[in-house]
Amino acid sequence: MSAVLQTQAPTLELATGYRLSVRRFARNRLAVAGLVVVVLFLLFCFVGPLLYSTDQTHTHLTQVNLAPSGAHWLGTDAVGHDELGRLMFGGKTSLLVGLAAGLLATVIGTLWGAVAGYAGGWVDAVMMRVVDAGIAIPALFILLVVSAITTPDSLGLILILGLVSWLVPSRLVRAETLTLKSRDYVLTLRAIGGTHGRAIFRHILPNSVSTIVVAATFQVADAILLVAYVSYLGLGVQPPSTDWGGMLSAGLTAAYSGRWWLIVPPGLAIILVVCAFNAVGDGLRDAFDVRGRG
Amino acid sequence: MSPARTTLVAGAVVSAGTLLLAGCSGTSDTSSTSRDSINYALPANFTPNWILPIGTAAHLNTNNRSIADSLWERLVAYDGSTGKIAWNKQASLATAADFASDSKSVDITLGDRSWSDGKPITSRDVEFWFNLIKANKAEWAGYNPGKAPDNWTSFKTVDERHFTITFDQAYNSEWMLANQLSEITPLPQHVWDKTDASAKVSDADRTAAGAKKVWTYLNTAAKNISGYDKDALWKTISGPYSVKSFSTSGKVVLAANKKYDGGEKANIATVNLLPFTTADAEKNALRSGSVDYGYIEATDLDQKDRFTAQGYKVEPWSGWAITYMPYNFNNPAMGAVFKQLYARQAVQRSIDQTSLAKVIFNGTAVPGYGPVPQAQASDFVSPEQKDNPYPFSTSAAKSLLTSHGWQEKGGVMVCTEPGTGDSQCGEGVAEGTKFEMQVLSQSGSTVTDNMMSAIQSSLEKTGIKFSIKTAPVNSVLSQTPQCTSDQSVCKWQLSFFGTAGSWYFNAFPTGDSLFQTKGGSNFGNYSNPEVDKLITASTTSASSQAVRDYSAAVAKDLPVIWLPAPDYQISVVRNGLGGFSQDSLANFHPAQWKWTK
Repeated sequence: MSAVLQTQAPTLELATGYRLSVRRFARNRLAVAGLVVVVLFLLFCFVGPLLYSTDQTHTHLTQVNLAPSGAHWLGTDAVGHDELGRLMFGGKTSLLVGLAAGLLATVIGTLWGAVAGYAGGWVDAVMMRVVDAGIAIPALFILLVVSAITTPDSLGLILILGLVSWLVPSRLVRAETLTLKSRDYVLTLRAIGGTHGRAIFRHILPNSVSTIVVAATFQVADAILLVAYVSYLGLGVQPPSTDWGGMLSAGLTAAYSGRWWLIVPPGLAIILVVCAFNAVGDGLRDAFDVRGRG
Repeated sequence: MSPARTTLVAGAVVSAGTLLLAGCSGTSDTSSTSRDSINYALPANFTPNWILPIGTAAHLNTNNRSIADSLWERLVAYDGSTGKIAWNKQASLATAADFASDSKSVDITLGDRSWSDGKPITSRDVEFWFNLIKANKAEWAGYNPGKAPDNWTSFKTVDERHFTITFDQAYNSEWMLANQLSEITPLPQHVWDKTDASAKVSDADRTAAGAKKVWTYLNTAAKNISGYDKDALWKTISGPYSVKSFSTSGKVVLAANKKYDGGEKANIATVNLLPFTTADAEKNALRSGSVDYGYIEATDLDQKDRFTAQGYKVEPWSGWAITYMPYNFNNPAMGAVFKQLYARQAVQRSIDQTSLAKVIFNGTAVPGYGPVPQAQASDFVSPEQKDNPYPFSTSAAKSLLTSHGWQEKGGVMVCTEPGTGDSQCGEGVAEGTKFEMQVLSQSGSTVTDNMMSAIQSSLEKTGIKFSIKTAPVNSVLSQTPQCTSDQSVCKWQLSFFGTAGSWYFNAFPTGDSLFQTKGGSNFGNYSNPEVDKLITASTTSASSQAVRDYSAAVAKDLPVIWLPAPDYQISVVRNGLGGFSQDSLANFHPAQWKWTK
């Protein structure tokens, strides 16, 4: 009976811990600003098209490269798409792919790291050598090769990015697991016959959630950047779809033509969103850090 | 923050910041060009790698050929240096080509010319080329079965400056001269006719086995790029320039040949041919003033004033070329649809070439409606091609499909009435077939990407789904080969490799390679017996009407999707550099350049 009570104790402590973390996060102005920026961009890309409707499917060759005006707030691009509408349209892809790929990478990395850390021994050694080998190969190189072979759509990009980005979170979660698996409540669970799965999913992962959440925010930021890189190099989603990296790449040809509206908005969007996710990640890390509580 | 993430974030901020500041960047003119030299920008991502004036498939490139032509003049040089494509006798070793009245042979007269070592250029030097090509035709890049040298049955030397070539049948003399005899480059037999470096010069080329050995020796020597400026083999020349240096990284320096005794003497002592890894790098060099003759992209044309203010003039370089997208008639999914003329008409009528040329290409492309280039005035274009048989109209395109058993469902045309009747989808088109096709398009060009987006948009209005996949041009060419429907490689449906024009012709624009059944570059396996006959007639008939008949038939039959033909290059030329017209055959001729002030 006492063993059961002991295994439940950390979960009860978590609730109090989270309240403290939220309070600490709310005091971090940069993190809150980042969160606000993320939310605003999500609204801009997903709700914005309902309020500012544009045709992003067809080209309009009679309205190319128009400067910002009342009709087109951010002007038009080289094939006549409204640039503000395109920014929303492209942002959907960038954010959707970034979020989904970041979460996919976190899920894979979390499971891999938890299993490796919990199993230990040769299983851990083999699994982590796989991670070491994967980290040795630049993700961008793998992305370029895969993108050159296939024509990625949004789903394809999510899978590709997710499958090349899980290595770092797996290391973080493994380290956390190595610590947690020797805690009393895990050892007690094992002693009373609890399964390995229960140990991992009921006790280790919930207690690693701070590490996982922080890693996830950084993964999302990294994934948004990787999408931008791949698209900038012309290997992203194909027309009529686009994303901010693709818009930046297309706009670059106008760098000396004074058409700033093709370069500045997508460039700013990438910078702001990536910095915002990083600020949120930093804020979460500080908020979850027990050393800072008091 | 992990090192990888720190790098990514820093990279993003720096990259994006740089881009944001790009519009504020200025230019500087560091021009200090000597009038004894010129800096010419080679195409982006091209490195000269062949000097032998006999092209092999691995080294086939118009820029390699331009360099070789500056060192060894052709027998009959065709170019557009006078503004019209014609025999440039100033740059040729032959002075006359007299065809027999039955058009089955030609008597050629050589000018009184010498090699740079003082030895005369004779009929033997032409025979040497002839023998090498006969014995090694399969390795020669200019070889097409049935054409030269197969159709040349004999070479007869009359004297040192006269010889006769006999053909297997009567040919159109203009085609024979412009497309076949123009391939001949007399070579210094008295220096090159040996089987290895240590062997003595002999008549080895006069046996097939010997000619093969000589060919191997010359090709092996030509693979040593770093030896181009030192190897004595390359010192005996007939052209206006010699090699001063030839870097494996791509920079080539040509020096005027002081022994040159031809009609196109070099005006500028030193020609620097500069390589660039990207078009942007070349553009930056132009902006810095370190290039005298370079180029910009069509999307940069609105910066013309900036270059003009810097002391350049911007001059589009029009090519003798056509641009198109081949259908794969053997594609298992869409081949049957592509074989229906009405379907091809619907596609063609959905493409607004006039707007594409004007808007996407900034006016640097010319709509093309058939197999003969239309950027230049010529007698080869038929009135049918000129008048555009299938003008842009998506409503007309839609009618073509709906009147042949197709119905629009969910925005895409679907075959609802299969069969071979007049109002049915046509042979091989199954009920339920959707009009959906994918192009594998050349990547790396914003103009091409924009054109594909515009085509996708207008085809959608007709009810045709057009998806785009991009790849580097070499991948496009390797992934869209001639194929049969049972081959896995035959999945491609449409191919585009024409960012700078799909096909550059010789002076006489015949379609034997492109549109003849089993033609070497007939990528989509187009086959029409009537067109085959017209193509054959265009090369054998004495009248140029045969080419116009071929032009009219192919313009109407749509073996490919016709697209606007872009300029070969938007040249940016320093003021004071003149004395030449840009050759529409896409070759450059340094000997024609001169500083006029």
